[in-house]
Amino acid sequence: MNGKNDTQDANADAAFAERSKALFEQSVAALDAQTLSRLNRSRQKALSTMDSTVIGFSRRTQWLPAAGVAAVALLAVTIWYTRVPTDEMEPAPIADLELLMAEDSFEMLQELEFYSWMNFDRESDAAAGSDSDVG
Amino acid sequence: MYPMSAVATVFAVSCTRRPDTGVGTLQREQNLNRFLAEVEKRALRIAQISVRDRDEALDLVQNAMIKLARKYSDRGQQEWTPLFYRILQNGVRDWHRRQIVKNRVMIFVGRGKNEDAGYDVIAAAADSAGRAPDEQLQNNEAMESLEQAIRGLPARQREAFMLRMFEGMDVAATALAMACSEGSVKTHYSRAVHSLRETLGEHWQ
Repeated sequence: MNGKNDTQDANADAAFAERSKALFEQSVAALDAQTLSRLNRSRQKALSTMDSTVIGFSRRTQWLPAAGVAAVALLAVTIWYTRVPTDEMEPAPIADLELLMAEDSFEMLQELEFYSWMNFDRESDAAAGSDSDVG
Repeated sequence: MYPMSAVATVFAVSCTRRPDTGVGTLQREQNLNRFLAEVEKRALRIAQISVRDRDEALDLVQNAMIKLARKYSDRGQQEWTPLFYRILQNGVRDWHRRQIVKNRVMIFVGRGKNEDAGYDVIAAAADSAGRAPDEQLQNNEAMESLEQAIRGLPARQREAFMLRMFEGMDVAATALAMACSEGSVKTHYSRAVHSLRETLGEHWQ
């Protein structure tokens, strides 16, 4: 009994599907010329959009490898011709550090009072000499 | 020395890269044109059944065409049908959301309108096959009943039914278009068919 009902149900489904599909296809075939024309225009518009994106993108990007090669080559040539031998010039911070840490400078700092007195003595002599010139 | 090796590497890559030839692009454009020409009428009717407005349906189909051409034209042709209908169904869903908001606003400001007003079944489906007027009228009425019944279905059942029945897509492609499992498609479709048969009654056939 169940099997018979299932078969009837399946047949009814198939008949329903056939009828629905036929009606739908008729309604598609009945589309008027104006609607078909608008569909055609929509399709052409979509295809032109594809031109401006996919094709445009590929045209824009096809020069990228060549541009990359040129840029790298230019960089290489620039580095090659502008580089200076490294043993002729040392970095400034290291040079300053060595100057500060030189042994002479360290001794001078230890005898700062002596150098100060010597400087004062020279200035006094110079002042005395100038006074004698006036007289 | 490394800059020179970099130059060599980039040069090698640029030489081995296959250029996108104009012939390939033209072929793809022709294939897409053929595909769209094949699906556009059924897509329009499917959209029209969903939104009940030919102009709105035309806009939705055009937007689906443009999105497919822009984003997915480089995909395999076997993917175009489910992708196109997924875009279209998303558009239909968005349209319904906008309509709900619009109707709420219109009701709020006291300008709500009856959706059935201005819809002419006969004018919407002119016959070009030379059928007898009474047969054409009978078919138009049957189609209108079917459309009304389809619109009464839940959205997912409606999508499954139209894609399987009207577009003739198989279960796998329909699942891809609806972004769900094949089991869900079978369930939605089966429920839709039984619901429609019940709504339309036996005399419809």
